[in-house]
Amino acid sequence: MKPVVGIPRALLYWQYFPLWQSFLEGIGVETYLSPPTGRQILQDGLAALGTDVCLPVKVAAGHLLALRDRVDLILLPRLVSAARREYACPKLMGLPDLVRHSLSLPPLLSPVIDRYRHDNWPLIRVALAVGRRVGAGLPAVLRSLARAVECYRRYLNLLQAGYFPQEAWEAAGAGQAPDPRAPAGDVVALIGHPYTVYDREINLNLLGRLERAGLSVRTAEQVPEATARRAAAALPKHLFWTAGQQAVGAAFHYLEQEGVVGMISVMSFGCGPDSMTGDLIARRARRGGIIPHLSLTLDEHAAEAGVLTRLEAFLDMVAAQRERGVVVCG
Amino acid sequence: MRLTFPHMGNLWISVKTMLDSLGAPVVCAPLTTRRTLSLGVRYAPEGACLPLKLNVGNFLEAAELGADTVIMAGGCGPCRFGYYAQVEQAVLDDLGVSLRFLVLEPPEGSARELVGRIRAITDARSWWQVLGAVRRGFVVARCLDVLERRAQSLRPREVRPGAADQALAAAEKIMAGAWSSGAAPAFRRARALLEAVAIEPERPVLRVGVVGEIFTLLEPFVNLDLMQRLGRLGVEVSRSIYLGEWINEHLFLGLYPGIHSARGVRKASLPYLGHFVGGHGQETVGSAVLFGEKKLDGVIQLLPFTCMPEIVAQHVLPSVSRDLGIPVLTLVLDEQTGDAGLTTRLEAFVDMLWGNRGGICA
Amino acid sequence: MKTYLGIDVGSVSANFVLVDEAGEVLEAVYLRTRGRPLEVVQEGVAALAKTADHGAVAGVGTTGSGRVLAGLVVGADVVRNEITAHAAATARLIPGARTILEIGGQDSKLIIISPGGTVADFAMNTVCAAGTGSFLDQQAARLGIPIEEFGAIALEAQTPVRIAGRCAVFAETDMIHKQAMGYGLPEILAGLCEALVRNYLNNLGKGKDIRDKVVFQGGVAANAGMRRAFERVLKRAVHVPPHHGVMGALGAALLARAQTGPGARTGFKGFDLANRDYRTGCFNCNGCANQCEVVEITQASTVLARWGDRCGRWSRAPLVSGA
Repeated sequence: MKPVVGIPRALLYWQYFPLWQSFLEGIGVETYLSPPTGRQILQDGLAALGTDVCLPVKVAAGHLLALRDRVDLILLPRLVSAARREYACPKLMGLPDLVRHSLSLPPLLSPVIDRYRHDNWPLIRVALAVGRRVGAGLPAVLRSLARAVECYRRYLNLLQAGYFPQEAWEAAGAGQAPDPRAPAGDVVALIGHPYTVYDREINLNLLGRLERAGLSVRTAEQVPEATARRAAAALPKHLFWTAGQQAVGAAFHYLEQEGVVGMISVMSFGCGPDSMTGDLIARRARRGGIIPHLSLTLDEHAAEAGVLTRLEAFLDMVAAQRERGVVVCG
Repeated sequence: MRLTFPHMGNLWISVKTMLDSLGAPVVCAPLTTRRTLSLGVRYAPEGACLPLKLNVGNFLEAAELGADTVIMAGGCGPCRFGYYAQVEQAVLDDLGVSLRFLVLEPPEGSARELVGRIRAITDARSWWQVLGAVRRGFVVARCLDVLERRAQSLRPREVRPGAADQALAAAEKIMAGAWSSGAAPAFRRARALLEAVAIEPERPVLRVGVVGEIFTLLEPFVNLDLMQRLGRLGVEVSRSIYLGEWINEHLFLGLYPGIHSARGVRKASLPYLGHFVGGHGQETVGSAVLFGEKKLDGVIQLLPFTCMPEIVAQHVLPSVSRDLGIPVLTLVLDEQTGDAGLTTRLEAFVDMLWGNRGGICA
Repeated sequence: MKTYLGIDVGSVSANFVLVDEAGEVLEAVYLRTRGRPLEVVQEGVAALAKTADHGAVAGVGTTGSGRVLAGLVVGADVVRNEITAHAAATARLIPGARTILEIGGQDSKLIIISPGGTVADFAMNTVCAAGTGSFLDQQAARLGIPIEEFGAIALEAQTPVRIAGRCAVFAETDMIHKQAMGYGLPEILAGLCEALVRNYLNNLGKGKDIRDKVVFQGGVAANAGMRRAFERVLKRAVHVPPHHGVMGALGAALLARAQTGPGARTGFKGFDLANRDYRTGCFNCNGCANQCEVVEITQASTVLARWGDRCGRWSRAPLVSGA
């Protein structure tokens, strides 16, 4: 019998879930996804890891603990590099070890994803390693991988057409072709790691609040990678974090776009790359001085009141600028 | 052109020797003090790690003394250090402080870029002269390693409290002037000072390995003179990182013969930390393993607040501690680290280690 | 009968105990430090002098953040950090104790004791106020409740209110919010206790093997609401020893007893400290940009000691009289 594979609804999930899900389904593996981040998960994560670990990793610890008694294996890839000559952050590179030594967990399925030197064939190797571990045959693995990659490509296209992850992977699963969505109204760019931008519990439903304020939200993933990379080339040196490339590139891109009336950088307290890329984005926005920019640092005690006050002030700035066409920044 | 560079413990002695040998005009930033820190904290990004903030402080203080060009090392990740120079430059630019950065790092495009940057420093000197200067700087770093190691073994055994530190300070001063007098005779004089420190060789001492992030390990301002404090508490310190070894490993790619290499250390880390995680994360874990195997009494890990590679190591070390039966104390250092709390923790740790040896305690 | 004096000078309170040869507490004095550690030491020793047998003191130990100063003034035989002191007292007086939860005014500690009675592991928090007693003090003051009644009121709670926030500042914000929403006082106080316990465990409990018997000591242990919150979160019995408030001082006395074996002479300067003219001074050294604040202790214009400098220029300099 094939093992039940648990997937924590955290970190890389927010980026690669359609790829994983489609692949694992294809080789006939039953998956179990941890529930959306909630109070218990947050509390367990905080209690499990040291105070100086960034919030997203603590949240991930909570999700892993939520999987503990329900699955035989947990899929927790070791993401070393997602693109040539680039890295993930050190905590993602060491994540399987970090959690293995700090929490008691079922066995981890942690294939190494390393494209630092080679572009494509590591994916095949990862797929083979996973297939071997869950007892799937070679033809099934190759077939599923091809299908998963195809599904993931559709998913990325949907994102770039203006969909958000949840709706995009439902549509991608249904084989739907992208149906471009023009932003309805003024756009606020929400820049940050997918796991902070889309996890409503962590960010106090920032995305929903912006939409309720009558703004269209655009995120970093909705900018095609090539576009983001071109924009990020304005940096004095190639940025070696892939996620940082996308965030900085998307931010620089949006800063030049017509119809973008404001930008929020959502950062996690204790996140190393955010402390650098967030600063680069904020400086650029300030130097440009075209649209209001808000740096929002989230952590576990982000009291709702504090975040909301700043968000409201930001929205007022956006509104004031739209009325007067005046340049403000923050 | 007036060159400056960031401070990291004794690094300045080695770099200054090298630049002086080239006849390049150098403006050493004042040694890191609270003023440096408050400048750095005021202007560097809030979430940045402590070394970056202190770098910014160093550069501002050097600029006050007339420096116009910064020499920095670089890197290609995943540790933040690889992007320090670019963020620091942006901070200084926005402040209106004009410092040009010459970043010595593996080139992205053509090697010509790097050669150009080196040429900007070395001017018209021949490559032979450049190599000679680099060698001199490196030899001085190696000498400083030897002196520090010696002081670490003298401190817990010295007869007169503070004698080893006084001798070390005088010895380092001699090495700082070594460029004019030549490294070898300076080193002989410096070492003689340490050898003259009276010790009680039979006194029982604890042996503790200090591991962690390089900057916090090498910069006494940041670790609140940890090596001296431990020495005073009767601890003989072993360290995972020394300046000369680091230069060999990172600048000479470990090619200089006969020097302790990090390869074995990294191998020792593999059962616990299965992959490179940037910075010195693997070295931290591997050194702790080796210290445990050598039956040292304990290990202390140092890291700046939010240091990514060391946070991974920190969460792995409890397993090393359990498997090898070696106590580990992790000290996270930031701009708010207080003297009192650190003292209490160190003393309690040392008491605990004596307790493990079946010594004192109620 | 020989007696031993233990002194624990913390930033908020100072405790003094006199114990006999068997470690029984003969006398205990509790004072507020009020930022004047020197005076409080003189005061405390004078208070003990009234009942103590002046010739019997065979050893003195000091601990706490003011241990060096106190040790200098009283002539201590042992000057020890408070982690070792707390562990020494608990291991000696509470057989089978394996875990010490200690919450003081400005810091908190978690100490794991080995079966052999030595320290096996510890953690200490000095940065975050949300894990210390001052957090409860402040909130009690805000709510206008004497801190002594805090615990009893908290015990009346049916269900503690959940107060969010790892940080004291945010917790306060959230508490005000909950008050505004109309929650009852007992529920809010119990909620504060649980918030403090959670913060304490999140800060210090990581990877620590918490085993029975769990002992809760320090000034905050007097608060019954805190004890219940610990029991609720840890899901095990928590013991509060009779002398929970002076365990540090007690430990210092016991360490002094261990140190001063038969034949050894104590350095104790006697009970008449209050009559001596000790002074503390402080100056900024201008030797470098560090601008260290150097503390100077003088007695009748003789400098007894200096500290606070990084480089040793003052602390290592030979002491000269007159100033």
